[in-house]
Amino acid sequence: MTISDHILVIDDDPEICQLVNDFFQKNGFQVTSIPSSKGLQDALDRQKVDLIVLDLMLPDEDGLVVCRNLRSRSNIPVIILSARGEEMDRIIGLEMGADDYLPKPFHPRELLARVKSVLRRTRAAPEEVDEDDSHAFYRFAGWTLDVATRQLYSSRNEKIFLSGGEFSLLRVFLNHPNRVLTRDQLLAFSHGREIEPYDRTIDMQISRLRRRLNDDPKSPELIKTVRSLGYVFSARVERTDSKS
Amino acid sequence: MDAKAKLVIKVDRDLEDIAPGYLENRRKDAEMISVALERSDFEALKMIGHRMKGSGAGYGFQRITDIGTQLEQAATLQNRQTARDSLDQLVDYLDAIEVVYV
Repeated sequence: MTISDHILVIDDDPEICQLVNDFFQKNGFQVTSIPSSKGLQDALDRQKVDLIVLDLMLPDEDGLVVCRNLRSRSNIPVIILSARGEEMDRIIGLEMGADDYLPKPFHPRELLARVKSVLRRTRAAPEEVDEDDSHAFYRFAGWTLDVATRQLYSSRNEKIFLSGGEFSLLRVFLNHPNRVLTRDQLLAFSHGREIEPYDRTIDMQISRLRRRLNDDPKSPELIKTVRSLGYVFSARVERTDSKS
Repeated sequence: MDAKAKLVIKVDRDLEDIAPGYLENRRKDAEMISVALERSDFEALKMIGHRMKGSGAGYGFQRITDIGTQLEQAATLQNRQTARDSLDQLVDYLDAIEVVYV
């Protein structure tokens, strides 16, 4: 677990929310809970979320649909909770992209163990850069990256020059937003090689990329340093097939 | 059951701050079940049962999950007698338990 991982709980039962809030906070997590999927986008926009605990029976929308929509635009790990507990729900939930499934009632200690396990798993082996994104456009914090032309556009549609290394690094971040990536992972995914002792390549490229993105290095909003671990790209990232 | 006999329930110490409030809310549930029974409001009974079922064991009270399951099923079938039995069982259980945090 990194320092204060942030868990978002979506459940309309306030006592389930309280159970998770209280137990997880005692175990060093930061927790936000919302009673329906309506507040999901706001919650994701407001703060970096490391993992979502999602109830299937929500008042406004089926949790399976929420899970599928979430997975189509985000890599944030999802654990589904459900009182339904049917085998078919579990299978569909996992097929919709959930990382794990826990039937209600659950002991919070079991949920905690599963959350830690999913976070470990998703961080230990993030997928490599999605090669299928070669014609994609990524939008984040007012910026747009056109992968095909390797062109970055500001919110005022100004073209920003990126070196090959900066482009590769940004692409890796956009493929893995809101997840801690170690220097080794960043180097392996952006350059295809392993880090060497005293290798500061990534740190220097991060520094340059922050400048391109007007991200204050003393208090970065987009590329945040996670002490002794690596970096996290903290923004909501949308991937589309067209620029506008 | 002997009126004075206590049923000792062991609950995770990490839940010590919230378990008493949870039990207090079940007392409120008992009142709401009673009102819903008078009004034949089976939708309300179903929701109360569903939530008890989903949360009870998580707080360390498996019996509340069991009673909630029974209440939800009774409400679905509009079985007033079983719903009333569930209410009685809930009240008896809340009166009988003594929570020990381990």
